Formats: sequence, structure tokens, C-alpha cells
Amino acid sequence: MFELQRQHPAAALANAFDIIRANFITILILVFVGSGGREANFTLYWIIGAFLFLLIWGVISWYRFEFSVEEGELRIEQGVFVRKKLYLTSDRIQVIDISAGVVQRLFGLVAVEVKTAGSSSKEAKISAITRVKAEKLKTLLRKKTEKTEESQEAEPIAQRKVYALDTRDLLIAASTSGRFGVALSVVGVAFSQVEQLISEEQIIHFVEKVIPQSTNATMIAMSIFAVIAIAWLFSFAGTIIKYYDFVVEVREDELLISRGLFERTQLTIPFNRIQAVQIKEELLRQPLGYASLVIESAGYGESEGNSTTLFPLLAKPQIYTFVDEVIPDYNTEISEKNDVPSVALRRYLFRMLWISLPVILVVWSTIPYGVYSWFLLIPALLLGYQQYRDAEIARGEDTLILAFRLLSKTTAMVKKYRMQSCQVQQNPFQKRLSLANLTVHVASGNQGRAFTVRDIDISKAMDYRAWLANGKGGGSYISHEDNSEPANETFDDQDANQ
Amino acid sequence: MRSSPKNKLSHDAIKAWRVSLSIFISFLVLGLFFLWGYKLLSPEAGFFSTWTLIAISVILIVITGLGIFFIPEIRWRRWFYEVDEHEVDLQSGIFIITRTLVPIKRVQHVDTRQGPILRSYNLADVTISTAATTHRIPALNEEVADQVRDQISKFARLAEEDV
Repeated sequence: MFELQRQHPAAALANAFDIIRANFITILILVFVGSGGREANFTLYWIIGAFLFLLIWGVISWYRFEFSVEEGELRIEQGVFVRKKLYLTSDRIQVIDISAGVVQRLFGLVAVEVKTAGSSSKEAKISAITRVKAEKLKTLLRKKTEKTEESQEAEPIAQRKVYALDTRDLLIAASTSGRFGVALSVVGVAFSQVEQLISEEQIIHFVEKVIPQSTNATMIAMSIFAVIAIAWLFSFAGTIIKYYDFVVEVREDELLISRGLFERTQLTIPFNRIQAVQIKEELLRQPLGYASLVIESAGYGESEGNSTTLFPLLAKPQIYTFVDEVIPDYNTEISEKNDVPSVALRRYLFRMLWISLPVILVVWSTIPYGVYSWFLLIPALLLGYQQYRDAEIARGEDTLILAFRLLSKTTAMVKKYRMQSCQVQQNPFQKRLSLANLTVHVASGNQGRAFTVRDIDISKAMDYRAWLANGKGGGSYISHEDNSEPANETFDDQDANQ
Repeated sequence: MRSSPKNKLSHDAIKAWRVSLSIFISFLVLGLFFLWGYKLLSPEAGFFSTWTLIAISVILIVITGLGIFFIPEIRWRRWFYEVDEHEVDLQSGIFIITRTLVPIKRVQHVDTRQGPILRSYNLADVTISTAATTHRIPALNEEVADQVRDQISKFARLAEEDV
């Protein structure tokens, strides 16, 4: 048992860094934008002052944070001004993550995050304790949940499969990272701030001296190229840092994922918390024949929009063997497959047209050489056509498979009994062509996640919806009503009380 | 879409929606009055030109007309719901028709809600939450709302839960 105790004092530092990291973008913007025109010293004082304040805050919050394990419960008392007591019973706990950030590594410590469905994960974070204590805490809190589940499968840990991402794949993953777009926008913003740092004369001077033959057009082309190159470097580095030494371990009833270069993160995902699996074929990876696997799990964390990367890079032929070995439930035989009807093609094309037209018009009217933005129409329409080709809906025994593309192609596999709700939507234009959108919601993190296939045949959509409604939980609790009729038409209240 | 769910909302929903929309619009009108007053008192200092103001006024009048006289009626006519032991089935929408299905097993909690406007018409909303989504059946008769809520929670208790 753990008596009431404080964390390791290094938690004070870790807390301060946590706050900085959580607000990193804000701080960056404040420093970039706020410092314009004022003296550099002034900014420096502000930064030092703020850091000192955060440090003091970290010490106080360390002092006010106490935790213990009693009666199979993790009890945390915390809060500087408002005292909060958080009691987490071990059988409510779904995920226990042990990670080590830069600060923790410096002192040879780890952070423990305990996650339950619903409660915000930040509250149950012990930011610095020794690894021995962390492991002890984990076994203490895990014991009870395992006991209940072991009654069903009392098998000892027979085989442990481990999958690791090798260096070559890591490099491919990094150079084709989907986070490229995000990096691009950040670098774009930073680039627009360059003006404030360097005066215009300096730029002109630089241009005249270094590239005397340059015209306006080459200038624009070069700066676009520079932005793209820098963004690519950022996303390359970011992916390496994130997925370095990526290892998935398949255990008896859970998956253990560990990854990270500076900050080792360990995630434990019990199989019965998995809500959906996505195969993502990113724009840059698809031509090379690679994809990544993402799983949605309930009550798990806030990072990456509540989904977790199960494996960052897999060659396409490998995907199904991987799925078969790691999450065999999701390797189902497809019994029915439906494409988008060909009348829907025009909707896919027009949608891209409506999206790209305003951009083109704005660029055309504001930027020199903006006329060329009309060429954007070509990739936009091609994308629309590809979206039409990729959209597909299929079903196996108890699995619904939705394939759709925004930029990257996503194939989502959802167990019938994991579906939280299902929507069929039809607007007047779709009505004329008798098309509709089908959306399926699954639980993921604190909110849900929605998967939509656009413009499928309305009768097919309603058919799938009725099929989903008939989900009897994949056989885990088959009851007397083994009904094959579409539920939305027949049942009424009298039938309900048989 | 075929075979809509069979139950309709309370007919009083139309009135309640009209009232709540009128209250909202009256705030907009108040804002517009300020703009007009400002314009008339100091013609050259105004933020908007006279024509913009006229345009805004016309748009507001049109929205008010549609919103108060037509939309609640149509919205009511297009709203259907049905609850049985397997699922909650909803259909709504004026232009975009949405047909929602919530398996009873997935329902985490149901509650009824009632603001001052709904209360004055003896109406209540029923809110159905799952682990991922929240759905609302608006403006049912109080008794009906209670009944629907109890029914859903009864069915949900009968169906076993695993998430």
C-alpha cells in the first residue's frame, strides 16, 4: 500500500515545463508578435519573470499535491487554491501510462498518467516519481481489473508478439509525414513575421547582391519553395522525435505501445476498449504503397484528437497480416461491398469546385501572378474524382467498413456493437439523385468520432442503417429476439413487452 | 425517405419556438435601433453607410418573417421520433433531412430539460447521451417527455451495457 505522500520534488520543474509546453504556440505568438518594435531587453525581462513565476507555481502545486493508494483506490489530493480530492477505483481505471519527459529523465524519474472514461486525464497525473514506485503503483491498480477479466481467460501469458518500426521505415514515415500541412501553416506564419525582424532595405540589398537576375516571379517561387522546405524539415524532425523506436507489444488482453526520442511514452490499450480501427493512406504515402494504422479507444487521453497510432508505417500487403496478428477481431471477411453510384460523381466534382473557387478568386484578385491560381482547379477536380472512386461502404459479419477520402484515404472499420449512433442525411440535391450521406459515430476519448461516407444510394444507406440497428452485440448477449427484419419499420411498443 | 418514425412533437412546440425566436430577434432589433440612432444623430461618424443599414434592416425583416411565421411550422412538420426496445429513431431537418439511429444499448443517460419558455407551454426537451454523441428530442409535452425518458431508461437498463 502507498501511504499519503508527495511526488518527487522534480515535479515542480516538470509542472512548470508542462504549462510552458501546453501554451507553447501562444507563447511563440506572443514573443513573435508582441515584441515587434519594443526593446529586446524588455521582452527578456518578461520571459524571465514569467518563468520564475511558473517555477514558484510549480513548487506550490508540488507541495499541495499528495497521493496514496488505499483500498484499491488511487486517491489524489491537489489544488493550490481550491482543494480537489480525486478518488479513482481501480476497476474504473482504463489506461495507465508511464512516460518520461526531458525533466523526468534528467532526474531518472517517470510520470504516471491514469485515465478513466470521462474524467479529464490531466487531473490524474503524477508528474514525477521513481520508476520502482510507478511500477508498484501500476501493479496495485491493475491487479483488481485483471482479476475480474482473468476469470474468463485463465491462460498464462503464452506468446508475446512484438512489432518494431525499423529505421528505414521510420525515415520513410518521417519524410512522408502527414503533419506536413500543419508545419506548413506554422512556418508560413513565422515567415510572415520575418518582415518585422529584417527591414525591407536589407531584403532588397540581399536580393540585388545575391540574385541579381531574379525577377518577381522567381522570388515568389523561391520563397514558396523555402517555406515548403522548412516545413518539411520540421515535420521530418517532428515525426522522428515522436515515433523513434516505436514498439507495439501484443499482450494477452492489451496492447502496449511505446515510442518517442526525448520523451518515451508508453500507452496501454486493453483490447476491449478499442472502438474502431482506421487504415490511413496519406497523400504522400499512398503512391509509395504505404499506410498507417490508427485506433480509436474509449476513455483514452487527449492527444492526437483522441486516437492513437497503432503503427505509423506499413506496406500495404502487410496491413492485413498485421491486423490479423495484432487485432484479429478486425480481420473480417467482407460479405457485401457497395460503391458510390455513378450519378454521385458530379456531386463530388462540384463539391471540390465550390471549395476551390473562392480560394482561386481571392488569390486571383490579390496576388500578382494570381491568374495562375486557376491551375488549382486541376488538382482540385482530380481530388474530387479520386474521392468519388475511393468512397465505399462494405460489411462483414459484424463489422462495418467505411472508406472515404478528404485528402488522405481513410478506411474505418467499426464493429456493429461499438457503434454509438448512426445518421443518414439527405439534402434536396441529394434527394433528386436519391443519394444520402451515412455517418457512424463511435466513442473515442471524451467525445466521439464520426466517420462519413458521402453520396451513397439512399436505399443502401437505409439498408445499412437497419442492419446496424439489428446489432445484437456480435453474439456476446444474444437474446430471444433473433429478428432479421429491418428494425425501423416493424417494432412498436406492444412488441417490446413480450 | 421511407417510413418515417411515427411520433410527432407537441403542437405547442411551434408556439414555443416562435416565442424563443422572437426574443432572440428582439435583441438584434435593439442593436439595429442603436445603429440607426447613431447614424441619425451623427450622419458622418457612423460605422455603416445608410445603404448598408437599410440592407441589414431588410435582411432582418425577411429573416424575422421566415423565422417566425414559416420555419417553426415546417420544422414541426418534419420532426418525427420513435422509441422502442432496440433503438431510438429520429428524423428532423428542414432542408437537410437527418435520420438518426441510437441503439438503446448505447444510451448512457437520458434527461428532460425545460427552460422558462418551454415551461410556460408545459413542454420539455428529452436529451439522450451516448459515449460519443448527444441527441435531443425537442419540445414534447411534459407528460410525454417524462414517459419517453422513463421508457428509454427502462429499455437501456434491460439491454446489457459493455461500454
